[in-house]
Amino acid sequence: MDLLEYQAKELFGEMGIPVLPSQRIDHPQDIKALKIPYPIVLKSQVRRGGRGRAGGIKVVTNTIDAVAAAQAIFNLPIMEEYPEVLLAEAKYDVEQEIYLAVALDSSARRPVLLGSPQGGIRVASTVEQMQHVIVEQEFSAFYARRLTLKMGLHGRLIQSVSAVIEKMYWLFQQKDLDLIEINPLGINSSGEVMALDGKITVNGGALGRHADLSLLAAKRVKSVYLGKTPVSSQRGGKEASGDRRTSTTSPLSSSAYTLLSASHFVQLEGTIGILCNGAGLTMTTLDLIYQAGGKPANFLNLGGESFYGWNPENFHNRIKQGLTLVTQSQTIQVLLINILGSVISCYEIAQVITTHLKQLPHTPPKLVVRLVGHESDRARDYLSTLNIPLVEQLDEAIVQAVALGKSRTK
Amino acid sequence: MIITPDSKVLVQGILEPLGAICTPLMQAYGTQIVAGISPGHEGKQLNSIPIFDMVDRALASVGGVDITIIFVHPYLALDAALESIAAGIRQIILITEGVPPLDVVHLLRKAEATETLVIGPNCPGIIVPGQVLLGTHPSEFYTPGSVGIISRSGTLTYEVALELTRAGLGQSIGVGIGSDAILGSSFSQWLQVLDEDENTEVIVLVGEIGGDGEEIAARYIEEVIDKPVVAYVAGRNTPKGKHMGHAGAIIAAQVTELTRNPGALPDIGTAESKISALKKAKVPVADRPSQIPDLVKKALRH
Repeated sequence: MDLLEYQAKELFGEMGIPVLPSQRIDHPQDIKALKIPYPIVLKSQVRRGGRGRAGGIKVVTNTIDAVAAAQAIFNLPIMEEYPEVLLAEAKYDVEQEIYLAVALDSSARRPVLLGSPQGGIRVASTVEQMQHVIVEQEFSAFYARRLTLKMGLHGRLIQSVSAVIEKMYWLFQQKDLDLIEINPLGINSSGEVMALDGKITVNGGALGRHADLSLLAAKRVKSVYLGKTPVSSQRGGKEASGDRRTSTTSPLSSSAYTLLSASHFVQLEGTIGILCNGAGLTMTTLDLIYQAGGKPANFLNLGGESFYGWNPENFHNRIKQGLTLVTQSQTIQVLLINILGSVISCYEIAQVITTHLKQLPHTPPKLVVRLVGHESDRARDYLSTLNIPLVEQLDEAIVQAVALGKSRTK
Repeated sequence: MIITPDSKVLVQGILEPLGAICTPLMQAYGTQIVAGISPGHEGKQLNSIPIFDMVDRALASVGGVDITIIFVHPYLALDAALESIAAGIRQIILITEGVPPLDVVHLLRKAEATETLVIGPNCPGIIVPGQVLLGTHPSEFYTPGSVGIISRSGTLTYEVALELTRAGLGQSIGVGIGSDAILGSSFSQWLQVLDEDENTEVIVLVGEIGGDGEEIAARYIEEVIDKPVVAYVAGRNTPKGKHMGHAGAIIAAQVTELTRNPGALPDIGTAESKISALKKAKVPVADRPSQIPDLVKKALRH
């Protein structure tokens, strides 16, 4: 989960990483209560990159220009995302811009410090000159100094830049981050350093032990949903954005998120809804539908069997939530259910599915059901009384779903 | 990894929901579960398995343990694993999903220093069909034979096992290495283990998008592995940026890209990158799970 720049900078400030005086702007009129002296920089607070090129960053020298610029930025989508907040920040004159980050390296199985002597928006040359240091054992400041030397820094910058890297690492560790990035770290003519832009990605699994971050993340979940809305249904303007948010988040209450995370559901535009358990199996089912010429309406992963609190009851609850969510899609004509596992009773799941679909307010889509596990014979007998065949082979389930998805009648 | 039908097994988190469901299934399959841990419940039993407050107290009572399986809450997983290492256990299977990656980093630093093998986290564990079940694999999908399965997935591994079993191809082992960004054991480590395993004739590698484990495995197969390998990779059509609940190391992939191939476009971690790396290593890649048995049969004929 990505934090916005102003949220990241609040954490930087708490940790003692130098940041400029700034103020959060929720509305263009807030500009009038600005306490930072002009000139200032107004920055759109969106997660997508490329906001500078898109016109989401403006330098202004007086209140009239600032209000106009704020209005313009609020109404400017950056890759389909409208800012809910702007950041007004003091202007800083830099002599050099460098790139710094701490992330996880899955091959080394360790955190890695990253640094490039060329930061800012010229990504290609940033990447070309990127240096890294793997943090093999317990972190100590020498790992940071080693990176600054690899980056070709010298003199006073070795200490001042490694001090920033050190604080980034502590933030990374204390807050369970997946990524912390400062790009650029500005260096002015007197050699002072300043974090001019920052990105923080929080580890979703660790949110439960960071109350402060989970509050910020809860706000972001709404926007995650916005990002998945099909492009064709999007209209410009802030009001449309507000409407979309209400309509797309209502199916899942906040308590439901603790069971079924929004990241497990993806909305598409075809005719076949897909409900599976486990990420790998969900991806496979999606691949097979596409390979067979079908078009998915959406897909949802109910989660695998490595959740420590897994039991039949909460799995059944997830199935119900999943059915509600998947069948709400406007374009769905067929629902393909593909569930397999070691500790599930197929018979109980078949009952949960059919009972829950009857309770939904809308006409349920046509069903293709594949359940593999305990009591599958009992599930087959039960489903056949409702004229729903239980499919054994995955390939066969795909063929049926694609055929039904292409027929016109619903 | 040393697993035999006689291996003595400990279950940490035996009274947690998943632990309480899986322990009797493992026991019924023949796994020698000698004790369980659940702080505050010492003196109780689950299916005649004695429960203890702490690992060292369990070992003092039941003697040595070869493997521990951990089903505790994700935020307690690091502590549970460190407790077992402190008690001298050197093989850990960490089933739990959602362990914060930096806890895993902490655990692996300790594990490497003590030569402890860690499988997982976020994995279905290991099954040796007909002998031992150490995790959540549905044993009825498996049958003894000579195909070794190594996978990053859970339920997709079961699907592959089921396809093989239905085609009359038994398995020597099924290993789920886990689907998190930071894992205790890699594809390459298990390729080496199965290359040396006399019960395995062909290896099926089940990968998915994210990270660079398959790319590294492909190079490793080309250079080191003698036995035939067949692969399948899930996620060819997954929309960009979505990894369906598997923390498939998207950031790590960027990092790897930035640091190892400066200047290149960051496409490591995509299905295309993995499939082309595997094909380059002359590993046949199945288009769908049901094609795996045919490719395995072909590999066995060579």
